[in-house]
Amino acid sequence: MTKKKKEKEEFLENELIEKSLSPHPLSFMKLQSLCLFLIIWGVVLGWLVNFSEYKTLFSGNEWFILLAWGLVLLFVGVIASLILIRWTIFFLYLSVFVSAIALMIWQNWLNKDVAPLFIPFYSFAVSIIGFLIVEIYRRSHQYIITNLRIILMSGYLTKTELSIRYDKITVFGKQGILGQIFNFGTIIPITQSGLGLGSDQTLAAGGMMLGGKKAKLLGIAGGGKEVQTPRSRSSFELHGVHPYREIKNLIEKLVQENVPTAYHQEQVAFQKQQVDLQKQMRDLLKIQTKETSKKPISNAEIPDETDEEEKVEEAIEPEQNDVQKQMKELLKKQSELKEAEKIDEENEEETGEEKS
Amino acid sequence: MEGYSIDIVIFAPLAPILGVLLFWFIQLLFIQSEKFLLEKIRHKHEPLCRFTNFLGILFQTICHALGYTVTKSGISDFFISVDYGRVSPKKERTGIFEWIANAFLFIGPFFIPAFLLLISLIFLKVEGLELVIPLNITGTEYTFGGQITIFGSSLYNFSEKFFGFLSNIDLLHPGHFGFLLLLIFLGMGIRPSYIGEKKHEKIDMLYDLKNIWSLISFKPLYIIILFVIAYLFFHLSILINQFLYVELFSIFGWLSIISITALIIADAIVLLIKTTDEIPGKSRFLPYITIPSSYVLTRVFFFYFPSDFTKIVSLSIMILSTILVTFLLLKYKTKKFNTKTGMKPLRGKDDEEKKGKRRISRKRID
Repeated sequence: MTKKKKEKEEFLENELIEKSLSPHPLSFMKLQSLCLFLIIWGVVLGWLVNFSEYKTLFSGNEWFILLAWGLVLLFVGVIASLILIRWTIFFLYLSVFVSAIALMIWQNWLNKDVAPLFIPFYSFAVSIIGFLIVEIYRRSHQYIITNLRIILMSGYLTKTELSIRYDKITVFGKQGILGQIFNFGTIIPITQSGLGLGSDQTLAAGGMMLGGKKAKLLGIAGGGKEVQTPRSRSSFELHGVHPYREIKNLIEKLVQENVPTAYHQEQVAFQKQQVDLQKQMRDLLKIQTKETSKKPISNAEIPDETDEEEKVEEAIEPEQNDVQKQMKELLKKQSELKEAEKIDEENEEETGEEKS
Repeated sequence: MEGYSIDIVIFAPLAPILGVLLFWFIQLLFIQSEKFLLEKIRHKHEPLCRFTNFLGILFQTICHALGYTVTKSGISDFFISVDYGRVSPKKERTGIFEWIANAFLFIGPFFIPAFLLLISLIFLKVEGLELVIPLNITGTEYTFGGQITIFGSSLYNFSEKFFGFLSNIDLLHPGHFGFLLLLIFLGMGIRPSYIGEKKHEKIDMLYDLKNIWSLISFKPLYIIILFVIAYLFFHLSILINQFLYVELFSIFGWLSIISITALIIADAIVLLIKTTDEIPGKSRFLPYITIPSSYVLTRVFFFYFPSDFTKIVSLSIMILSTILVTFLLLKYKTKKFNTKTGMKPLRGKDDEEKKGKRRISRKRID
């Protein structure tokens, strides 16, 4: 089955594609910068160990080079994890470091003065693999904006698909400096169920210990705060879409078209009322016709129009009378409104003439 | 001490000020040329223009914030985007403090980013950051001529060492490479006005000068105060027999030289982008591939055949090969160097015309 056919099957009736998007190549810069740092640090260490004036410091000590490289990597990993609150960064760097040691031990390179060359090349190779993984991950995202909904699809092995309708969503947009330069940005559709919302948590705790050698008193106090912020995974948001402003405006327009405004709501309520009245009238007429058809009418007695009206009134029950009254009142109101509009128009014309 | 007293008292302090002003005007001229080039490539390289705008705004905003910090006004709000920067003080201060903060905003971007590069030059062990007093001016150091000679000599000494470093820059050295990147960024962002999506009137040098002039003319008293301070500082330097006054202005001169160099490099890059835009197809990327590949190949060559001029030769080959590749691409891929009509057909036409004229003339004679 071709991709287009499959896509056609996935769409609803009368559904039209407005835009089909994927994230900008630079939109995953946070992930790409992890690989970039690995390359930069590998090259810098390679230069330090092989060409700089400090190369004598490292000569003949394979473990020292490896540890220096790994410790800096882990230190940066810890700092990045703390800032971004993602411990995967630390574990990623840790796995890179551990695999480097494992590879060196397995190949028995530790005593062969290989580390000065191995580290830059290994860093470069791992970074290239990292860049490729990020690129594959980026390409797995596909966002389709149709006239009825937003479809967010992602994943190569495990596919996720999310469909968001335009009614009852709030659109949140964010654009970093890189996004502002290259004109891409992230749009998060926040639904009433809370999709698109994350939370920032801050926790504080303090403890103290009192007492001498024997008697000790321990006290711990703590507290936390939580703030809800628009945040989502790239699978559940329009991540790094280009051109940002144009797409945001398009979504805003589609949301506006699908959300009923106060005027629309009034109009719908009024139309409902009218339909109800018409139904009631139809029922009344049915009853009338039934009652009249039950009574036998002789040819000699031709009923007067006045008699007919009386008979109809008799046939109408008190409840139906109320409905008719309501209808009359409504008609009266309508005519009053029309008259008021006419008077207003006349007044406006008069004031216009006076001004001229 | 020799020299006329009027020279020492009135004219001598003006010498370094005029020197710095001259260099600053040269800086403005290069900024103008960069703006012109950026405006030319804007329609094709919108992100690059936005990036340079961002750099410019970043420098300005940092300088403005520094102004508020120096005047102890404090910073309550700091915001930077690609086309807008805003810094608000905690305390609104008037008078000289306000003027100093504004001076930081208008004049700071020309000198403060370059100051960071000057500091990094110290870390890269570049010499030339000292005052040079030529022997032939002994006794007349505090005259106009003496002051301008010391200023010029210091600048010459710095330029010699700085350009020596640049021509021997090792692009495989992380520190040197980082310095070059910073230099390019400085060159791209050292401009006080914005190049926007719509054509703005305020992208020329006159607009910048008008801004600075309005700042000066708005508070002329402060300019007088600044001159008085400068004169006092100069005479204090004479009193303690130190060259502090000319040394201070020499630093401004060094900063101007760094800025001008940065602008020249940035101009060259923008010019390369503008030129390669004219080349059709993917071959336009060839000059950009030539830059690193030619340098790395030359360095590899010199690794096996060592020479005393490895860095300078590698750099020269890199620049020359890039120019050559660009030139060849322009010659064979575009009609840039072609005349509107070929020379041969023109020659042929000329010969035919001449023959025709002869025939006509012969007929007439007949």
